[in-house]
Amino acid sequence: MVSVINTVDTSHEDMIHDAQMDYYGTRLATCSSDRSVKIFDVRNGGQILIADLRGHEGPVWQVAWAHPMYGNILASCSYDRKVIIWKEENGTWEKTYEYTGHDSSVNSVCWAPHDYGLILACGSSDGAISLLGYTGDGQWEVKKISNAHTIGCNAVSWAPAVVPGSLIEQPSGQKPNYIKRFASGGCDNLVKIWKEEDGQWKEEQKLEAHSDWVRDVAWAPSIGLPTSTMASCSQDGRVFIWTCDDASGNSWSPKLLHKFNDVVWHVSWSITANILAVSGGDNKVTLWKESVDGLWVCISDVNKGQGAVSAITEGQQNEQ
Amino acid sequence: MKLKEIDRTAIQAWSPAQHHPIYLATGTSAQQLDATFSTSASLEMFELDLSDPSLDMKSCATFSSSHRYHKLIWGPHRMASDSSLSGVLIAGGENGNVILYEPAKIIAGDSEVIIAQKDKHTGPVRALDVNIFQTNLVASGANESEIYIWDLNNFATPMTPGAKTQPLEDISCISWNKQVQHILASASPSGRATVWDLRKNEPIIKVSDHSNRMHCSGLAWHPDVATQMVLASEDDKLPVIQMWDLRFASSPFRVLENHTRGVLTIAWSMADSELLLSCGKDAKIVCSNPNTGEVLYELPTNTQWCFDVQWCPRNPAVLSAASFDGRISIYSIMGGSTEGLRQKQVDKLSSSFGNLDPFGTGQPLPPLQLPQQTTPQSSVLPLKKPPKWIRRPVGASFSFGGKLVTFENTKSQQQQGAEQPPHHHVYVSQVVTEKEFLSRSNQLQEAVQSEGFVSYCQKKMDVAQTDFEKNVWAFLKVNFEEDSRVKYLELLGYRKDDLGKKITSALNKESLADDKQEEAPKEYDQSVQNDSEDSHATEEQFLGESTKENKQETEDLTSAKETFNIFVNGDVDGLITQALLTGNFESAVNLCLHDNRMADAIILAIAGGQELLSKTQKKYFAKMQSKITRLITAVVTKNWKEIVQSCDLQNWREALAAVLTYARPDEFAALCDLLGTRLENEGDSLLQTQACLCYICAGNVEKLVSCWTKAQDASSPLSLQDLIEKVVILRKAVHLTQAVDPNAVGALLAEKMSQYANLLAAQGSIAAALAFLPANTSQINIVQLRDRLCQAHGELPVGPEAPKSPYERRSMPKGRVGPAAGQMPLPQVPAQQYYQQGDNPPPPGFIMPSQQSPSPGYNMYSQIGALSTYPQTYQPTQQYSFGTGGPALYQPQQPAVPPASTSYPNPSPNPPYMPSACPHSMPSPLYPAQPQPSPTSLNPGASFPLPSTGASFQHGRPGAPATSATYALPTGPTGTLPATSELPASQRTENQLTQDQASVLQGPQNGWNDPPALNRVAKKKKMPDNFMPPVPITSPIMNPLTDPQSQMQQPPTSAPPAAQAAFQPSHLPLGQPVLQNPFQPIQQPLGQSIMPPAVSKPSTEGAPGAPIGNTMQLVQSLPTEKITKKPIPDEHLILKTTFEALIQRCLLSATDPQTKRKLDDANKRLEFLYDRLREQTLSPTIINGLHSIAKSIETRNYTEGLNIHTHIVSTSNFSETSAFMPVLKVVLTQANKLGV
Repeated sequence: MVSVINTVDTSHEDMIHDAQMDYYGTRLATCSSDRSVKIFDVRNGGQILIADLRGHEGPVWQVAWAHPMYGNILASCSYDRKVIIWKEENGTWEKTYEYTGHDSSVNSVCWAPHDYGLILACGSSDGAISLLGYTGDGQWEVKKISNAHTIGCNAVSWAPAVVPGSLIEQPSGQKPNYIKRFASGGCDNLVKIWKEEDGQWKEEQKLEAHSDWVRDVAWAPSIGLPTSTMASCSQDGRVFIWTCDDASGNSWSPKLLHKFNDVVWHVSWSITANILAVSGGDNKVTLWKESVDGLWVCISDVNKGQGAVSAITEGQQNEQ
Repeated sequence: MKLKEIDRTAIQAWSPAQHHPIYLATGTSAQQLDATFSTSASLEMFELDLSDPSLDMKSCATFSSSHRYHKLIWGPHRMASDSSLSGVLIAGGENGNVILYEPAKIIAGDSEVIIAQKDKHTGPVRALDVNIFQTNLVASGANESEIYIWDLNNFATPMTPGAKTQPLEDISCISWNKQVQHILASASPSGRATVWDLRKNEPIIKVSDHSNRMHCSGLAWHPDVATQMVLASEDDKLPVIQMWDLRFASSPFRVLENHTRGVLTIAWSMADSELLLSCGKDAKIVCSNPNTGEVLYELPTNTQWCFDVQWCPRNPAVLSAASFDGRISIYSIMGGSTEGLRQKQVDKLSSSFGNLDPFGTGQPLPPLQLPQQTTPQSSVLPLKKPPKWIRRPVGASFSFGGKLVTFENTKSQQQQGAEQPPHHHVYVSQVVTEKEFLSRSNQLQEAVQSEGFVSYCQKKMDVAQTDFEKNVWAFLKVNFEEDSRVKYLELLGYRKDDLGKKITSALNKESLADDKQEEAPKEYDQSVQNDSEDSHATEEQFLGESTKENKQETEDLTSAKETFNIFVNGDVDGLITQALLTGNFESAVNLCLHDNRMADAIILAIAGGQELLSKTQKKYFAKMQSKITRLITAVVTKNWKEIVQSCDLQNWREALAAVLTYARPDEFAALCDLLGTRLENEGDSLLQTQACLCYICAGNVEKLVSCWTKAQDASSPLSLQDLIEKVVILRKAVHLTQAVDPNAVGALLAEKMSQYANLLAAQGSIAAALAFLPANTSQINIVQLRDRLCQAHGELPVGPEAPKSPYERRSMPKGRVGPAAGQMPLPQVPAQQYYQQGDNPPPPGFIMPSQQSPSPGYNMYSQIGALSTYPQTYQPTQQYSFGTGGPALYQPQQPAVPPASTSYPNPSPNPPYMPSACPHSMPSPLYPAQPQPSPTSLNPGASFPLPSTGASFQHGRPGAPATSATYALPTGPTGTLPATSELPASQRTENQLTQDQASVLQGPQNGWNDPPALNRVAKKKKMPDNFMPPVPITSPIMNPLTDPQSQMQQPPTSAPPAAQAAFQPSHLPLGQPVLQNPFQPIQQPLGQSIMPPAVSKPSTEGAPGAPIGNTMQLVQSLPTEKITKKPIPDEHLILKTTFEALIQRCLLSATDPQTKRKLDDANKRLEFLYDRLREQTLSPTIINGLHSIAKSIETRNYTEGLNIHTHIVSTSNFSETSAFMPVLKVVLTQANKLGV
């Protein structure tokens, strides 16, 4: 069942472009073409406006919550070419950093796994991807990947910090030598995987499957399995599930989840990485789940937050 | 921003939107010549490859054409999804011809690329358009008002839209309506536009500016609004774009005047109707919003005019522009850096020097350094207004707890009177996909909460689909029943009653046979070994005296009275006889063994004492090799390990049965374990599942988990549920029967439990997830999950109106830059000092235990660098929360008092959870602030090494991480000493607060913070069986305290009184011994039967052969027996009184201390005799003799007594009488001497 437990009237004066819950699922951040970012306390089905953040001079495309260990921090990106990092100070939200290093609309922001520190990846229509890393004392270090995607990067998504499959063997307290990776999708129809080597960001993979703009990429949370999984969606209506089994991260293979009749704007994994929410241009949200035989099955059509969930046959659940 | 360049003087056509990849077709322009005056013509195909960062456009194919072109369009007619069919490229030629090309063939390099061509027009074809609804319809326009409609399916005969307009004029533009398929518009340089209705086959309206100065160079229908169109004027005097609405066609309703000279061409974006491109003789390419007239963008162009501009249909941000300087440029309107462009210029300059590598070094010349351009020039700004296609209208994102956040923007036409502003709603939905999983989880929780384990197991058995599943549940159920071992046996197929019946019937059958047979051996004996009868009798006399219960007793008694001869011949019998006569039992036994007289040997060995017996048994077993010998061996020697280790695994059932019957409680679990391990390691999947049963018997949760995981795939929610159900129930059982810390969770189990909690959380069952999450593990991921769940749970006991609650404080203390100074530093990450500017102690923003701290510290996310600055005093206090490890540190103060029991009636077993997030987790500071209801409660001052002034608790230094919310209270420079009496007034409030929290803690909150084993244990079964897997975080001292710990976590309703009782000072003297037996503190207060410490080694346990029904009961009753000795039977009491009276008399008359000492000693040693009397183990002959002695004492005839004594000693078994007979002799002798 998909049932609405809270309908938040955002009072935005124009289109909403993103809505994200914080780490705990207690606060909701929204952003809109009305150039504002709003934060609501939505605990217990309520909706208390905590902040109405003004600072962008264009439509705000995305918001991203930093991990709470860094405090209450929200990043937003806008058509005004700016990335703004907001921070709650003494109960009020203020701008703590503004990045203006892009020449065009900044379409996507995504915080790195908290294990790496405060690092924000920003994808822009100028084709570049910026990585803003906090170095202390209010300073941010910027690394820029120029021409990551010609005529525009539409989405960035970090790989989880856990090396796939290492969850169980990993001795407690001993962190493996993580390799920072993230995926990006752009107007060049490509999904790319970037990897940090010696402090430099390098293109590791160039994944071709889409025939039109890649609208979104979403790296699935790690659940300890030895497979890395990503989803990408495109203007061409296709959603692909990418998987990579080898530890070196070199052999990604796509599987077509579905071909929709309209643009697919957004893909989002559930925390347990077993359900994918797909948002299409026909204002449809669908939920997908992989069946035991590896097929992706639509289990729900969500309309205005409501929907039924159809069971997928998962074979013999209780076989001995 | 410029993306690509093609150095051609050509007109262009983009491949249709459906086509992938994107191509640009160029055709040599009819009205231009380049500097070579070449008149050759060609069609070229270029691919737009955006992954190539260079400015070069990849040329795919060139087709030499005999025509030069005025107009080129690429229609999607006859297109296939694969690239085999790629639509139709339609060209308008200078000789009035319309030519259809097949682009796929051009690309393939085919020579036959023309599909069809017609030269129907009389003049150059300047205007072409494809109907977007019926892509086979193409309109063309030429001189003399000629307009033809071509059907590509029937190309031979074109239609006309109606009669030619008069006066005849050139058709410069033609365009199909974008909304209504049968509407067509044409325009001519004269400035007039005509709208045709093909259904009526006539012009329906003429659009004309009255100024008559319009020179129509462009015509375009509104992409969205059927009645609107724009006309562009080429006239330098009127360089305008007029916007017309046919509903009011007398004059343009908007005029765009963005060009200073005539507009050469326009293009309206199909992807966004607010984007209209126009280029003019002022060399500008302007993008404006025709709906408002606003200029959105001006492309950076050079000084050359552009005569053709086209939006790329597929990639809406891309456009191409052909300029008179012989170049086609591809631009993006999204802005960006022009670095690429500059690079191309550099390359060109370099190449103009002829050779990139003039010195043949293999290296090109270093690139020229162009003078740095100013920033505004090098980067190109995007459109002022975001194009429609990047405005995401819909979204759905998952968040923690299975919530889905969705929004959708219903397409509302802004223009058409938005009477009611659309509501911009965001929906937060709960996604539940695993209904069965949830309902089963709920059932499990209900069972745990109501303690209805038996019925739960029964239900599970009823619905079980496989025998194995049923078995498992049956085994689990037995855990909660009386006589669990018997029940286990029954489950294994060994029903005691049945067996009894079977045996009885078997015996009855045999008894007849026996009676007959019994004679035979005797006769055999007599006949074959005719001299053995007497020795046989002799032996039997021994036997009769030693084993009263021997069934041959009656026989013995009779035979004992018979006289017999003692043979001392040289044969075996004789040797045995001799050995016996000399008391050399060992030799006698050896002789018997040698002679294969097993029964004799064993019987003799029994007389010869325990050591000899066991030796003999060994030898016997070594010799005998019958099928059941090993079982007998094990039964007799109690060596169950041997059985378990070496039995055939197919016989695991029998081995388990044996263990269930015989094993001592303290080894029982280990044996089951061992058996389970063997089964598990066998690799046979069937045996592996059976191993689970063994682990259930053993109560070994951790192994059950690992075995189960091996045998079953527990990845799907339901199979995980399968496992967790069992584990939870087993843990409850183990908790009932064994002294284990209910919160102790092994790594694997913790892993599974947290997986389970994650799943529950993902289905929105946050509370349930919290309940199942292991409480006291320091595994970082679990601690993090707990924090997350706690926060997400939302129903924290403190409302938002209580600003002092830890929850609110968490958010942000005043005057601080960062919420978590010292918390946030990351190892190796320079972000470390981010929020460290603050002078104050950090708020408890994100404080969690860290696995790096030796004591499970609190700062979950931070590394512990800063933690060292933290007063050590707190470490122990914190550890209370962990249930183990902590209390030990208190031993110096209160050695025998398990701390925390009285003053910590906090039912919350989830201590590792961060203190700040949730008040439940503030164990240590709460301590003294707790109401202390009992006089026996600990004095906070005495029991905690807390300084009495706040000074030493200062946390004011920067960067000191707060380990608990209370410490971090921003109450000023003084730290918080939480003892109420000693608090300064300013801190009372805080203390009050903690009390409040404490009271909150005591509230009925079990739902969410209970550990998997939900602690509602009212009783414990007695099983001094302390076998359990090692508790992860414990130090050796801790184990004894585990139980008080669990006690501590019982709900306050029942626990506090009990707990207080348990720790009554009266127990203090017991000190360490108490700690040896973890049960004592529990059992007593709970009114269970008192068990002396010795119980844990039940010596009676081993009685071999006794098919013990319920070992546990035995364990319980036997010790009691031992302590309160049985009375001496009445008929023998006289012996005791007589002997004691005699000794008293002797003592009275004895004078020398040596004698007195002797008598005292004798008095004590006679206790052995009395014990024998109590046990009634003395043979009748001895008893009779003793009575005779007593009689003689009464008559003071001591000499007679001594005679009787001598007779007894000479006739009885030495081992039987040696303990007391010599003493009795001493007494008699003394009495005789003293004459008392």
